[in-house]
Amino acid sequence: MKILRIIGIIIVVGIVLFVGLAFLLNQRPSSPFDEVAAITAPQYPVEEASYVARLADCVACHSLPGEAPFSGGLPMGSPLGVMYATNITPDKATGIGNYTLADFDNAVRRGVAKDGHRLYPSMPYPSYSKMTDEDIKKLYDYFMFAVEPVAKPNQETGIPFPLNMRWPLAFWNAAFAPTKVYENKPEQSAEWNRGAYLVQGAGHCGSCHTERGLAIQEVALDDSGDAYLSGALLDGWHASNLRGNQATGLGRWSEDDIVQLLKTGRNKHATVFGTMLEAFNNSTQFMTDEDLKSIAVYLKSLPPHGADPQWTYDDATKVAFAGNDMTAPGASLYITQCSNCHGRDGLGRGALQPPLAGNPTVIGHNAESIINILLNGAGRMVVDGVPDSYRMTPFRVLLRDDQIAEIATFIRSSWGNDAPAVTAAEVAKLREDTDPTSDHVIILNMR
Amino acid sequence: MAVNLMINGKATEVDADPQTPLLWVLRDHLGMTGTKFGCGIAQCGACTVHIDGVATRSCQFPLEAAEGVKITTIEGLSADSSHPLQKLWVEFNVPQCGYCQTGMLMAAAALLDEIPNPTDADIDQYVSNICRCGTYTRVRAAIHKAADMMKA
Ligand code: FES
Ligand code: FES
Repeated sequence: MKILRIIGIIIVVGIVLFVGLAFLLNQRPSSPFDEVAAITAPQYPVEEASYVARLADCVACHSLPGEAPFSGGLPMGSPLGVMYATNITPDKATGIGNYTLADFDNAVRRGVAKDGHRLYPSMPYPSYSKMTDEDIKKLYDYFMFAVEPVAKPNQETGIPFPLNMRWPLAFWNAAFAPTKVYENKPEQSAEWNRGAYLVQGAGHCGSCHTERGLAIQEVALDDSGDAYLSGALLDGWHASNLRGNQATGLGRWSEDDIVQLLKTGRNKHATVFGTMLEAFNNSTQFMTDEDLKSIAVYLKSLPPHGADPQWTYDDATKVAFAGNDMTAPGASLYITQCSNCHGRDGLGRGALQPPLAGNPTVIGHNAESIINILLNGAGRMVVDGVPDSYRMTPFRVLLRDDQIAEIATFIRSSWGNDAPAVTAAEVAKLREDTDPTSDHVIILNMR
Repeated sequence: MAVNLMINGKATEVDADPQTPLLWVLRDHLGMTGTKFGCGIAQCGACTVHIDGVATRSCQFPLEAAEGVKITTIEGLSADSSHPLQKLWVEFNVPQCGYCQTGMLMAAAALLDEIPNPTDADIDQYVSNICRCGTYTRVRAAIHKAADMMKA
């Protein structure tokens, strides 16, 4: 009897503690804007307000092609199940029309919604937490007064109970999500600091370009970690290494090269692709030249990560082609399928046809992006509303897995490139994963 | 932007966006409509011209890369249709509708310059142009004959 009583008490106390803890963990955090009176009219010129939304690239996830901007709906995969980006238009019933500035701030910088539930960190609030109060106010302005309200209910996540309970995310936040606004480093220039602020904060570059740890947290959120922005796999792509590695990073790029890529989508080393294409279409091309320069200055200050092999052009491949020597596996396919645009010398044509020789994506250790582009082509770049005429075509129907593997292997080992071979099995896997009719098609994880 | 081109041995100035594909410059800006548009994505070969002697698909060749190179189009293959391939094209009745044939001829001519005695495999490799009418066997026969003639 006594034992049962004790067990009973333990259970009751346990439940009380659990409920109490859950309650506490669902509390809304405090915001510097808690005391701010309701804002009923825009406080900033709309260009300034919308610029911050461009920097943060909110539209990329919170919109679906063909639907009203910011009305949500984009599915994102996670190990737990699929989740959907929400409606962030100022609609009072289904969007964020009832959010005060403080509510909005808690969502963007602390990952807590108005009703106290925790957001999943597919919303990059660990990065946005670095944004200044001023930028948050501008962003609020933009969403409240410049965006059209759209009545569209949010979609439930496909994550099953009990994993769909949100309060444990409070622990995740305590461990992995900083809550401090970016602080200038006095030893660095104003330009560098602006670049660091943009890259680590609104730009949330690390969401894709930094690898994630066991708890899906980014292993580093700023340059204090040497894996920061050193490249990562996601959604069938390998987001490039943005550090100073000579062959596979930005080591051979000048600041102007970086600016050019972010402004025009291309430069003499590479072209945007995959999810970066969308970041370019929606965000980076709209940044001011000064901001792009600052980003370039900051990125160029990141030292190489890990081993740093060098790349130099070797014209042996070109010479072999000139002598009609097709003995290298893949050489013959390269001539018929690839050389028309990328050239027998592998150097492409200026900025408009990307080189394969020395292209960091081609010679990166991970071939995911190369296989993906060969199979599915590149998306459509849109500059100033004009679709681009130079675009990689998909070879998924034209070429078999072994042929794509041969081409990939060939370009990864020619003109001085020295990257591991690609197997037909790897191609087959990505072909399946990127086939919309397959039952395990990749859906976008994070942007 | 004004760009100086060397087309069929003639210096030509064009004022166009440097991103414009060479095919558009040839057809729309210069009125040289012998070069055809088929796919626009370097897949079919209808737009083939020679860039410094190499068969190149002009629909994916940006104007900005065309400065300082020698461009030859079908109009410049010979002054009076006297290139051996042109004559054999008539003799073998190679064209059917003809749409792909200017590109086909340019690809074949570049091949013979590079490999005077091409095998069937060489032809498949370098003349990967697409012909909707299926003239491939006559193209191949005419190229072999041209190789023989040019040797002699
Ligand atoms: S139009 Fe240029 S290859 Fe088809
Ligand atoms: S002859 Fe008609 S497409 Fe070739």
